[in-house]
Amino acid sequence: MSRPDRREHEQIRALNCVLGQLTRTDGSAQFSSGSTSLICGIYGPIEAKLYEEKIDRAHIDVKLRPAIGLPATKDKWAESAVRKTFERNILGHLHPRTLVQINLQVKENDGSVDAAAINATALALVDAGIPLRAMVAAASCAVRKDGEIVVDPVEEEIKKAMSTHTFAFSSNSPDDNPVYVDSRGSFTMDQYDRCFDLCAMTVQRILAFMRTAIEGKVAKESQISAV
Amino acid sequence: MVAEIPPSNIEAAFVLDALQKNIRVDGRGIYDYRALRISCGPAPGMVEVQLGQTRVLARVSCEVTRPAPERPTEGIVLFSCELGSMAAPGLESGGGGGPRASAQEVAVSRMIERIIRQSRAIDTEALCIMAGIKVWTMRIDLHFLDHSGNLVDAAAVATIAALRHFRRPDVTVDGETAIIHDPRDRNPVPLSIHHTPVCVSFAFLGAAGDLVVLDPSLLEEQTQAAAFTITLNAHREICALNKAGGVPLDASQIGRCMQVAVAKSDELIDAINAALGLNKS
Repeated sequence: MSRPDRREHEQIRALNCVLGQLTRTDGSAQFSSGSTSLICGIYGPIEAKLYEEKIDRAHIDVKLRPAIGLPATKDKWAESAVRKTFERNILGHLHPRTLVQINLQVKENDGSVDAAAINATALALVDAGIPLRAMVAAASCAVRKDGEIVVDPVEEEIKKAMSTHTFAFSSNSPDDNPVYVDSRGSFTMDQYDRCFDLCAMTVQRILAFMRTAIEGKVAKESQISAV
Repeated sequence: MVAEIPPSNIEAAFVLDALQKNIRVDGRGIYDYRALRISCGPAPGMVEVQLGQTRVLARVSCEVTRPAPERPTEGIVLFSCELGSMAAPGLESGGGGGPRASAQEVAVSRMIERIIRQSRAIDTEALCIMAGIKVWTMRIDLHFLDHSGNLVDAAAVATIAALRHFRRPDVTVDGETAIIHDPRDRNPVPLSIHHTPVCVSFAFLGAAGDLVVLDPSLLEEQTQAAAFTITLNAHREICALNKAGGVPLDASQIGRCMQVAVAKSDELIDAINAALGLNKS
């Protein structure tokens, strides 16, 4: 059975990103995977509110706004996914008593938004120059009713899926240790392992894409500063 | 988090000094508009507008609901404006007009609501499916991504372009039953839009408000003594005028602004038509 957009099972949608589009933020990135698209704007390190100030590290605040309507439970869930992925990854102890504010705006939701949110945030953090332990990227896959596993599912596939899985990996984890795992639905251990491997492989491709994007931006900027 | 810091006295004085010599800080002429870029799609009713560095994303969506009992034959139009911390540091959104909405957020959303709803730009009776039972509820979400002055003009262009770009599912009514067709079965239909109102904003600077600029930048907006927004449509009809507070202005200035606004509104409407036309082919 083929996929709604006629992709191969292991094929991801076309990736696209634009760094540093926004002027008022300290760093920003737009990340899109096919028609799923988000824009992320980051301020940091900035002054924290008294009640959220932490004496030994930076406070990480994530706000995600859906494209249509007001933030609902699933948007809060995506916020927490981003926060938990990056809380350990941002070198917060270098900026104690400050705030790193991550603003995410979904432009178009066509499946795998949680993974795209993590990817957009990773790129925006680099653009903002926030010190990170490593690069992080995420990928999603879905187990269909016929047992086939599809990578980077669209909304239609997620609705019909038996289970969906999102994994995030960092670029320096030694044995492919995930930094974020989210599995929903009913699945067997064997299916989980296959999803894990597929996502780990996909994340490597996304990390390579991010690297090219950042290298391109750095090359452009160093050209300007050389002139 | 710290709220927006107003420009220093020196910065404000610099803006005024330059303007007295007919120079704007960003190099534009007094009646120059910043570059306007309108990108439509990929989804219907999704339009992103870039006015200089100001960025606004508009999303139009619809659903079937029960009509308000006092207007059983009219569809419902909802607005939700979000001017949050994405647009500028320290801003906090009330989340679509909630109690925590900032004065600026309320001002922009009221203005947009006024020019779309009260100028009757949307034919709400065309949104009726079955009188008293089912109507379309249109929802317009405005997300401000980058605030560098003149949010109202950018938001107005985004809203009306998104409404004209939007396609709703086709419906056939047969006696007591209504069938909503899947977009794959039958082509979605455009909304019935009566006219295309656009805003043209001016800022008046100086103690007496005698220095006028079109399409104020953020710095100009922060130093302005008064603001004036004219809303016009393609027939050159005035849909709304807004001068809320600020210093009293000379009546002759308003007349001059009106002439400029007529010319600029034509340009804005041409830009919207061009963006929508390119998208169709």
